[in-house]
Amino acid sequence: MASSSLLISLASCLLFLAVSPALASNSEGEALCAFKSRLSDPNNVLQSWDQSLVNPCTWFHITCDSQNRVIRLDLGNSNITGTLGPELGRLQHLQYLELYRNSFMGKIPEELGNLKNLVSMDLYENQLEGEIPKSLSKLKSLRFMRLNNNKLTGSIPRELVTLSNLKVLDFSNNDLCGTIPVDGPFSTFPPESFENNKRLNGPELLGLASYDFGC
Amino acid sequence: MLYGEIPPTLGNCTSLETLGLAYCRLNGTIPPQLGNLRQLKLLTFQNNSLSGPIPDQLAQCTRIQVISLNDNMLEGEIPSFIGEFSALKTLNLANNCLKGEIPADIGNVRSLNHLYLFGNRLTGNIPYELNQLSQLQILDASSNNLSGPMNISPDHLISLEFLVISSNFLQGEIPKDFCSRNSSLRNLFLAGNQLTGTINGLLSCTSLQSLDLSNNSLTGSIPHAIDQLTELVNLALHNNSLTGPIPHQIGNLTNLEILSLYHNHLTDSIPVEIGKLKRLALLFLYENQMSGTIPAELTNCTSLQEVDFFGNHFSGTIPDQIGNLKNLIVLQLRENDLSGPIPPSLGYCNSLQQLALADNSLTGSLPDTFGFLTELNLITLYNNSLAGDLPRSLLGLKNLSIINLSHNKFSGTVEPLTGSDLLTVFDLTNNSFSGQIPLELFKSRNLTRIRLGHNQLTGPIPSQVGLLHQLVSLDLSDNDLTGEMPLSLSNCKGLTHLLLNGNRLSGYIPSWVFRDLVSLGELDLSSNNFSGDIPKEIGNCSALIKLSLYNNKLTGPIPVEIRKLTLLNVLNLQKNKLSGPVPPEIQQCKKLYELRLSENLLTGPIPSELSSLTELQVILDLSYNDLSGQIPDTLGNLLKLERLNLSFNQLQGALPDSLVRLTSLHRLNLSSNLLQGEIPLALSSFPQNSFSGNNLCGVPMGPCSDPPVSKGKHLSKAEVEGIIVAIVLVSAIVCVALMYIMARIWSNWREVSVSTSDCEESNSKRWVGNGDKIQASKYRKLGPTSTRVGSSEEKHSWGSDTSVLRMKNDAAC
Repeated sequence: MASSSLLISLASCLLFLAVSPALASNSEGEALCAFKSRLSDPNNVLQSWDQSLVNPCTWFHITCDSQNRVIRLDLGNSNITGTLGPELGRLQHLQYLELYRNSFMGKIPEELGNLKNLVSMDLYENQLEGEIPKSLSKLKSLRFMRLNNNKLTGSIPRELVTLSNLKVLDFSNNDLCGTIPVDGPFSTFPPESFENNKRLNGPELLGLASYDFGC
Repeated sequence: MLYGEIPPTLGNCTSLETLGLAYCRLNGTIPPQLGNLRQLKLLTFQNNSLSGPIPDQLAQCTRIQVISLNDNMLEGEIPSFIGEFSALKTLNLANNCLKGEIPADIGNVRSLNHLYLFGNRLTGNIPYELNQLSQLQILDASSNNLSGPMNISPDHLISLEFLVISSNFLQGEIPKDFCSRNSSLRNLFLAGNQLTGTINGLLSCTSLQSLDLSNNSLTGSIPHAIDQLTELVNLALHNNSLTGPIPHQIGNLTNLEILSLYHNHLTDSIPVEIGKLKRLALLFLYENQMSGTIPAELTNCTSLQEVDFFGNHFSGTIPDQIGNLKNLIVLQLRENDLSGPIPPSLGYCNSLQQLALADNSLTGSLPDTFGFLTELNLITLYNNSLAGDLPRSLLGLKNLSIINLSHNKFSGTVEPLTGSDLLTVFDLTNNSFSGQIPLELFKSRNLTRIRLGHNQLTGPIPSQVGLLHQLVSLDLSDNDLTGEMPLSLSNCKGLTHLLLNGNRLSGYIPSWVFRDLVSLGELDLSSNNFSGDIPKEIGNCSALIKLSLYNNKLTGPIPVEIRKLTLLNVLNLQKNKLSGPVPPEIQQCKKLYELRLSENLLTGPIPSELSSLTELQVILDLSYNDLSGQIPDTLGNLLKLERLNLSFNQLQGALPDSLVRLTSLHRLNLSSNLLQGEIPLALSSFPQNSFSGNNLCGVPMGPCSDPPVSKGKHLSKAEVEGIIVAIVLVSAIVCVALMYIMARIWSNWREVSVSTSDCEESNSKRWVGNGDKIQASKYRKLGPTSTRVGSSEEKHSWGSDTSVLRMKNDAAC
């Protein structure tokens, strides 16, 4: 009795799992669906995200290149609540991550450092907390990094000075601490990029104070 | 059917031996009075809605042999008095809300045959004492919150046939020599735990028929000695981290029916010995890193019903004899490196319902034999290099629902694909199909997606498209379609994507498009021959996210109703004959990140309201119009803008200072206007052709000939050669940057918040005053730069002192 039902449940479970990929979208679509599953979307802006499609290129707020690879994710100002997940790091061709002006909470996943082609990271005006991951220093194509108006804490990772393409950076209105790097692109960012971080002390003074001075 | 509570008076029937109230609608608690039933042997209350705890008084029913309380809502812990029931054979407490640990005392019930505890909230370790249950045949504790190591040892439980502890939190490795030589364990289910290590310990369980270790963290390879498990029928090892090849000994498991190894890290090719598995029905190898060719021997596995190799690196051709698999229902080979033609014999797999060969490098044409696949409901062949005309025989495939042949080189008419009237998805994007869109397609009234873009289809858009009330997406882009948009399309009110771009469609853009298709998120009518005005009804389409009407012959103004499209991300109206002003109302489209209005006949000034479009990022292109007036100073608010093209207009006056705030800008084209004056220093890094065709001066253009009145004081020494000026400039920037950094240090050191440039001025002077000391002690890392600071300072004192400070202000503001 129970034994036979167990066997049946095993077989049906296998069947279910096996058939699913035949209908599933490609890996980028799966990553985006995993991301969607973290979100509360009262305005239904993600309604068109249908995983049964070949790829996510016809979904709204997604832009693909000519080879059907996701290069833009535009969910700015969309009344979305939720968290960012490691799956976003699987969008390996992504150039624009535009998630600004929502209610994203929790940490910035370190997997975002895998987005080797990212040009613009706009996470400003959310509720993000925790530290700025060191892994973001792997984003060698990054030109714009706007993390302002969140609840980010900790010091500014020194590794970011290696982002030689970084042109615009805004860390203002967070709760960062320590000192501001002076090397690399940081030599060009105006003070407004760092203002309103109560515990952030001015530029680093090598030999005098450690970078996490006051953290 | 009995319902209500169990009457406590039942406890008066003290001679009762059997109390069976299963499968009723009893609720309430188990009355403690039942403890008076000292003669009770059989107590079966399963499948009711009983709640509350198992009463302690039941401890007195010491002759009990069967307790079945499963499928109720019992709470509390499993009572330890059960350990005193020396005659108990069956204890079934499954699917209740029991919590706490499994009492070790159960190990005393040597008579126990069947123990079912699954579907509760039990925690803690599995008590080692359970190993004393030498009569136990079935132990099922799955779907609980049990943790700790795998304590059960069939070595002691010599009668155990079924061991099921799936969906718990068991950790650690599977013990070595898990079973004894004569173990009777036939079914072992440990799926969905956190087990680590290899599976080698199970090779001693030679009676195993079903083994499910899926969804753990197992590592190592599948052991060669797997063929010791000669009785195996079902083997599920998916969702682990197994590595290495599938051993050829797998072919000795001739009873195997299910082999599920997906989502591991398996490598190498499929052993040819797999062909010995005549009973194999399900073979799941997907999401591994396997390679090599698919062995022809696989086609000897004539019982196969489902084959899924998705996401590996299998290469070579699909075996010619694939048609031997007469029972095949699902063939999933997507995302491999398969090449060559699709073997005609595949058409003889006439049970096939789902065929997915997408994302490979298959060539050749579709075999005529495909017409025999009458059960087929899904065929996905996208991203291959398949070519040729479709065989007429496909018209016989009456069950097709999902067709995706996109991104191939198919040619000829699409008609053979329209035999079914059950179609829901019809995607032939990017092929070379020609001829007209067949009317037979519209028999399938449940079509949700038609995508025929990038083909060579001709003729009109059939008016029958209006019969498809479920249609969500219609993409006919980049074909050679002619005629007007059929009025019947207004019936497709659920359309979210309408892409008709790149055809030769003509006539007006009908106003019903915007009046009736209000769900549209993307509308692309670009590159056609549409003429006339853009209908004012455009404001009704407030869900629009992308609107492209470029490269048509549209005339008249840009309707001010565009302001209602507040979700718009992309607006492209370029290359038309639109006239009138750029409507200031466009400022309401706050989500625009791409705005292209170039190559029209637009006149008047650039509205300063454009500065509200702060999300503009990809481009603001107003080039090739007749725009006049000055570049509005507010344009500097577009902080995210990366490309700005205002070229080939009649813009005049000086470049506004605010343009230097466009820090994101990396392409700028202001050429061929009537602009004049000096180029702000912050824009000097753009090339000459950003500014040519104006009267602009300063870097990168030629030096301003007359000493400017308001700006450029550092150029007042016209007699100094250009090179020297450049050196001065570079040094000055370095100097200013350093002074500025120092100023910030100073201000912070004094716990002054970010200061204004005025304060910085005085601070920097102070720092420059005793520069050497600071550089040596605090700016160790900036050593090389500090020498430049010294020299530039020298130059500036030799030149104009005020110019340094002035420039610093410019840069800092």
